Amino acid sequence: MGKPYILLVEDNADDIDLTQRAFDKNHIANDVMVVRDGAAASDFLFGEGGMRSRGAPALILLDLNLPKVSGLELLERIRMHETTRLIPTVILTSSKQEEDLLRGYRLGVNSYVRKPVDFNEFVDAVRQVGLYWLVLNEGPPPVGGGGM
Amino acid sequence: MLERITDGFFALDAQWRIAYMNAQARKLLRARADCVGTHWLDVFPKARGRLFEREYHRAMRDQAPVQFVEYSATAELWLEVKAYPSPDGLSVYFRDVSSRIEAQREIERTTRRQQALIELGRAALAGASYEQTLLDAIDLVRDFLDASIVELFDYERALGVPSVGRTIGWGEGAAMDPAAPPIEHVTIALRTGEPFVCSDVRIDARALSIASLQECGVLACVAVPIGTLEAPIGAIVAYHPAPRSYSLGDVRFVQAISQTIEGMVSAWESNQRMTQVLESIHDAFVAVDRDLRVTYVNRRMAAFWGRPTIEMVGTPLETFTEGFDDGGRARDQFRAALRERRAITFETKYGKRWYETRLFPFAAGVAAYVRDVTSRKSEQQHVLELNAELERRVAERTMQLELANKELESFSYSVSHDLRAPLRAIDGFSQALLEDYAAQLDPRAQGYLERVRRAAQRMAGLIDALLKLAKVARARVDFSDVDISALAASVVAELRESEPGRRVDVEIQPGLRALGDPHLLHIVVTNLLGNAWKFTRRAERAQVRVGKNGEGEFYVRDNGAGFEMTYASKLFGAFARLHSPEEYEGTGIGLATVARIVHRHGGDIRAEGAPGAGATFYFTLPLEEAGDAHHG
Repeated sequence: MGKPYILLVEDNADDIDLTQRAFDKNHIANDVMVVRDGAAASDFLFGEGGMRSRGAPALILLDLNLPKVSGLELLERIRMHETTRLIPTVILTSSKQEEDLLRGYRLGVNSYVRKPVDFNEFVDAVRQVGLYWLVLNEGPPPVGGGGM
Repeated sequence: MLERITDGFFALDAQWRIAYMNAQARKLLRARADCVGTHWLDVFPKARGRLFEREYHRAMRDQAPVQFVEYSATAELWLEVKAYPSPDGLSVYFRDVSSRIEAQREIERTTRRQQALIELGRAALAGASYEQTLLDAIDLVRDFLDASIVELFDYERALGVPSVGRTIGWGEGAAMDPAAPPIEHVTIALRTGEPFVCSDVRIDARALSIASLQECGVLACVAVPIGTLEAPIGAIVAYHPAPRSYSLGDVRFVQAISQTIEGMVSAWESNQRMTQVLESIHDAFVAVDRDLRVTYVNRRMAAFWGRPTIEMVGTPLETFTEGFDDGGRARDQFRAALRERRAITFETKYGKRWYETRLFPFAAGVAAYVRDVTSRKSEQQHVLELNAELERRVAERTMQLELANKELESFSYSVSHDLRAPLRAIDGFSQALLEDYAAQLDPRAQGYLERVRRAAQRMAGLIDALLKLAKVARARVDFSDVDISALAASVVAELRESEPGRRVDVEIQPGLRALGDPHLLHIVVTNLLGNAWKFTRRAERAQVRVGKNGEGEFYVRDNGAGFEMTYASKLFGAFARLHSPEEYEGTGIGLATVARIVHRHGGDIRAEGAPGAGATFYFTLPLEEAGDAHHG
């Protein structure tokens, strides 16, 4: 099992770059595995290869407005599936629609963070999320999975 | 002595011969003095076989007195007779009682006349036909007055002269020509309004033409007008072939007959008027008796049923309604109207047309008015269809509105999500340029990039404010009692915390309460106090007051920058700003949101201010007491 990595589910290339930049600026050295849509994320998490060989990510950062399979649908699958249900998952999105918040929490998301437009604030938000979930927080013990 | 008594007296011997007769008896019986010794029946042959003979024989046979009253053809008088028998013969006393008998007969005649009149009136009331009643009246006059001819005249209004109506007696050997009878005696009666009585036409000079009656075989007549002087109807005349003195009773009787005819005519005329009304009304009309037999139908009804009027009267209603009446419903309604004595209105459909029937019960039956209400019905139908169409449209619009709301929501969603992403990129990459390529950028380029970033951030703020406004517009208002004073105090505390360096003198009137949505009112108070906080930044001694005035308006007052009253109306529009962002930051959405919330509570908002003299925002909210009207 390799170094704990972050799974970033995000379709917007700008946001991918900016998020990566925020990680870098905060000296978060964990690998970032990027998938560009909900279907690709599903394949990675539940399909052959992907997570089975690499192991569960330490943190999933999930955008909501995704092509094919939406972020909330993906969250539902993650929480339903035995091998993924305990993975800390944080919604990182532009939306702060009450409905999205409610559904996110109902489906068992661990955090809901709105991406600020001000890049400095964004960097700060990413820093806090990374610090909390990757350093401060004790993750769940590993559960039965192919590669473990 | 027997000569002196006023009674007539004679005595008969055992052989029925006259033994004695006094002077009074001789006078009354017109007998000669030498009749003594002659058989009484030889002296008075007219008494043979009459009551006189029978009674005298009975007295002798029974040897008992007898007493009787009988008309004596010999004396031509009514006599009261008392006869006393003895074995030797019979003593007979008698006296003239003619006047008493005549009076009695007159009373009897009057009684019979009155009874006849009552009968006539009763028959007329009971619905005997007009013609029959007139004939009966004529018959009565003829019988009671022993008239040979009775004439009934109609008064010809147009001509002002009477004309012959109906005559009884002409033609039976009479010489009078009924085509052109003398009428002067009738016109006199009509002109005076009094009976014209003529006992003997030969000696009456009142009318020129009266003598010509004689050529018709008439010597006496009585003509009585019918109706009044003002409204004459006609006259009734009785003729006699011999001179006759008419008694007061005779005249009175004819007058009574005249009055009966008058009453009947006026009843008949009012009936005619009623008939005219019933024939002229637009409704079809039918009247039935209590057994639902037709008593009257107007033409319209007859036409509707397609039968002649004459055929329908007296026939059961059902005969005609059959085929029109849906399962006897109309019949049941007629019965209900009779039974319950109430007016009933109902509608029936026959073929493609609708009919409305109104039933009015009266003592003898039910009157029914029927009218075609098809057009009204179709108008009603039209209204119903319009209503349905309207409801359908409203439902459609509501659906469209709901759809529009959904679209707006998804629009809001995409605004909040999709519009922010590029802004974040603009800001993020500008920052990246500043960080990574600072060496290559001169201060001016760096300044431009800062401005790009500020603009992006400002736009993000506007988007958020717009979303908030849209949300407020759609939000449900849940009313509850809100402590405005406490709310203001908590907002002030937040403001003090956010700007610890500011010194602001705040006074909040205690005990302010209102009925409203706590969450939405929080937005209102936050915005108004936030503005007051913001615009007093440059005031020397910043003051903010929260309270309620005598008009029941809540207010938030500050002594800050204020504004020109000219622009007061623009304050509450979205993106309306009276200051530059450099002076006072802000989106221009705050007051629009406040106004929207106040209006959604059913309240009003207004602002007063002057440049440099501060601003006051007044708003009303429903009171707790009046709150019921705003619930639900």
